[in-house]
Amino acid sequence: MSVTFSLNGKPVTFDGPDDVPLLWAVREHFGLTGSKFGCGIGMCGACTMHLDGEAVRTCVMAVGHVRGRAVTTIEGLPTDETNPVHQAWNELDVPQCGYCQSGMIMATTSLLARNPNPTDQDIDQAITNLCRCATYIRIRAAIHAAARRA
Amino acid sequence: MSHHPSPVLLGRRRFLEVAAAFGAVLAVPLDAAIARRGEVAESELTDWIFIDQAGTVTLGLCQPEVGQGSYTVLPSILAEELDADWPAVAVRWVMGRDAYKIQFRNEKPSQKEGASTSTTKLYARLRTAGAAARIMLVSAAATRWGVPPGQCETRDGWVHNRVTGEKLAYGTLAPDAAKLPVPSDPPLKDRSAFRLIGKSLPRRDTAAKTNGSAIFGLDVTLPDMLNAAIRIAPAIGGWLVAVRNEAEVLKQPGVRHILKLDDAVIAVADRYWQAQRAIDLLDVVFSAGENGHLSTALIDNLAEAGLEAEIGVPALSQGDALKIIGQHPDRVIESRFSVPHLAHAAMEPMNATVHVQKDRVDVWGSIQSTDATVTAVAKICGMHEDQVHLHVGFLGGSFGGKIVPAFVAQAARAAKALGRPVKLIRTREMDIQHDHFRPNNKGRLRAVLDAEGYPLAVHARVCGQSLFATTRPNWLTKTPLGDYDESMVDGLYQQTYAIPNFHVDVIQTPLPIPVYFMRSVGSSAGVLFWESFITDLAHHAGIDQYAYRRHLLRNYPAGLRVLDAAAQAAGWDRPAGPDIARGIAFNTYFGRGGSFVSECAEVVELKRVGDRWKVARVVCAMDAGLVVNHNTFNAQIQGGIGFALTSALKSEITFRDGAAEQSNFVDYPLLSIAEMPEIVPVIVESDRPPQGAGEIMVAPLAPAISQALLHATGRRPDRMPFRAEWFQARA
Ligand code: FES
Ligand code: FES
Repeated sequence: MSVTFSLNGKPVTFDGPDDVPLLWAVREHFGLTGSKFGCGIGMCGACTMHLDGEAVRTCVMAVGHVRGRAVTTIEGLPTDETNPVHQAWNELDVPQCGYCQSGMIMATTSLLARNPNPTDQDIDQAITNLCRCATYIRIRAAIHAAARRA
Repeated sequence: MSHHPSPVLLGRRRFLEVAAAFGAVLAVPLDAAIARRGEVAESELTDWIFIDQAGTVTLGLCQPEVGQGSYTVLPSILAEELDADWPAVAVRWVMGRDAYKIQFRNEKPSQKEGASTSTTKLYARLRTAGAAARIMLVSAAATRWGVPPGQCETRDGWVHNRVTGEKLAYGTLAPDAAKLPVPSDPPLKDRSAFRLIGKSLPRRDTAAKTNGSAIFGLDVTLPDMLNAAIRIAPAIGGWLVAVRNEAEVLKQPGVRHILKLDDAVIAVADRYWQAQRAIDLLDVVFSAGENGHLSTALIDNLAEAGLEAEIGVPALSQGDALKIIGQHPDRVIESRFSVPHLAHAAMEPMNATVHVQKDRVDVWGSIQSTDATVTAVAKICGMHEDQVHLHVGFLGGSFGGKIVPAFVAQAARAAKALGRPVKLIRTREMDIQHDHFRPNNKGRLRAVLDAEGYPLAVHARVCGQSLFATTRPNWLTKTPLGDYDESMVDGLYQQTYAIPNFHVDVIQTPLPIPVYFMRSVGSSAGVLFWESFITDLAHHAGIDQYAYRRHLLRNYPAGLRVLDAAAQAAGWDRPAGPDIARGIAFNTYFGRGGSFVSECAEVVELKRVGDRWKVARVVCAMDAGLVVNHNTFNAQIQGGIGFALTSALKSEITFRDGAAEQSNFVDYPLLSIAEMPEIVPVIVESDRPPQGAGEIMVAPLAPAISQALLHATGRRPDRMPFRAEWFQARA
């Protein structure tokens, strides 16, 4: 009944059942609340974290699944000039309510790691996170801006 | 002018008590600086401006930040007149004073956010407060220097002596300034002198919203806090009959309490995931109550019957419309439209954290209305309203959905039962299924055209559930033929088109469904009906849609200007090309109770992509008076159009067996990035003060799409949401 994994570069141990969603383990047991709960069924992406560098939806991922692996949350990303995504998001003032934006940034960071110069079509396919404030225009512009900066 | 209650250094705990007693409760820090400032004595200049000895200028914010930018825009208005050092100011949540209340129609003033009024109603008030405080600071400086105030000028948080070149910081002057009377009618800056208003300031909350540190209601964490999950009776008005396995579920790790309400069961546990698990495990029996027969078919039948009724309650009766239409049955053009109930579906599900103590209640959460929440919580906890302290952080969207404090009331009941802080989070399913919905509506429009093809007489009939009858009966308009709800005929009964004979009437179909305002509420139906009907009339007359609307707006230059701006930016005069179809729509948005008037025209371009038409580009021209912040205004246009497009293409709440059938993004889908069109904002400059902005761009979008579809496919949709097959391109 315990799961050890790396959270933002530090080893942590979750004491509890393996099937607790990673999102709630991280939010409630490790106090990192930057990853949000939006739907609980893997549809909106508000809960996106990186698992070994890949964007994953953690409201539907059992914490047991990440045993021994590396989880990164929004709090684990740099916010200085080494992070073009964060810079672009700030430069273009992307967020409105902001609730979806941690997930958007995590999804974008993972996209750019795979595809440093995505086309609009690539973005349409890769960014399936939802934003009720519809900040999509600035999100798209920020993804392109981040790609140019990198 | 009252001082800060205690001008000595207070310990943090003592400060919180004092601040709470004076209603200046610290928010869940909207700004990290606040927590530190709590240690320092402050001087209060007006209800809005607090300056501490370290020189930090803190500006009060009474309107929740739901995404619209209030956290940036409203303080910038204060800072402008105050000549504060904008990058250095702090902002904090304030409540509990008359200065923070705004009035909607005939209601008693209250503190809340809604109806596109934050900037409209507070603009003058905030400018006056900023200017008054500036004069007080100048007087204090002039006294110290022994010079006339006219020899002083202010810049970036300093008072300068024009002659000697000396300067004094606001922080130094504030204790003296706070002792002076507040000037009641201070002169305000000329627009040409603005350095913040009318510019494009970046948002103050972007950094926190991009690094995970912004605290939303969901993120509130208190010492000793428990977590709660809820299951509500699915049917509207349903009730809880039995919980069969309570003892067994209580044995689950972390589960503390199962609370049975009349219509819901709440599980309280150490962790939220444990509480939700308990809810999932509970074997609960609900009764459908008295509305088990309620279904969308029934709702539709009721509304359709209303459309056929002999007479409705007239909301507008100008000229002789009914007679003319009755006399020319062969010339009548008729169209019908339908819109469903909608859920707000803000990205952050409704949640609240409540702590009930002997003599006070503290409430945190994603809350859009301040006073209504305080009232509801006080009642549940048996306390006076001034014992309820609300702490508002960032809201993960609201769109009107988080005004009704039902979810806060549920959290309060749990907290009262447990005696410890309890955070209650609704799942997405509970959030959607138990929302207070945007009401349904059906419209039947009839017209007789004159010899030139323009409307000679129009009869618009709207029938559906009344928002006002359900939520605010005293907002209904009384007539000899009965009461009507003006929001059901928004976009129709106040007309800027020249229609010589015009009759608008309303039939309400009472339904037990909980309803509430939602971004542009009545207009999102009324303008669809009206502008789609104008499309039909122009089409019938064989007149260009833009020219037709120009003619109808001939007596209303303010609207014409905006319509022209949109058409020009869209290149309406140029042929669209074979794979493009355009539609144009216009609306004058009258703020509730005459609070403002904004103009909006939109041109939608559909583009053929393979065998489908896609909404590719939207030109949106707006006159909403002075634009305080172009950055956030532009974001509102983009977001508002995205919101409207979601409703046009996707959103529908249907009912079966008394319950809403949709519950998550699977069956209540949202727009995706791939579906977001390009948007061309066109700001039509205006001398007027700021008018409503956040809802204005919503209404014209659907009718502009529907007109473009008429051009593209020969069919015009007559109900929302527009079905996917209507976007099928003909081979
Ligand atoms: S909360 Fe995980 S995808 Fe929506
Ligand atoms: S910014 Fe509000 S949901 Fe995306």
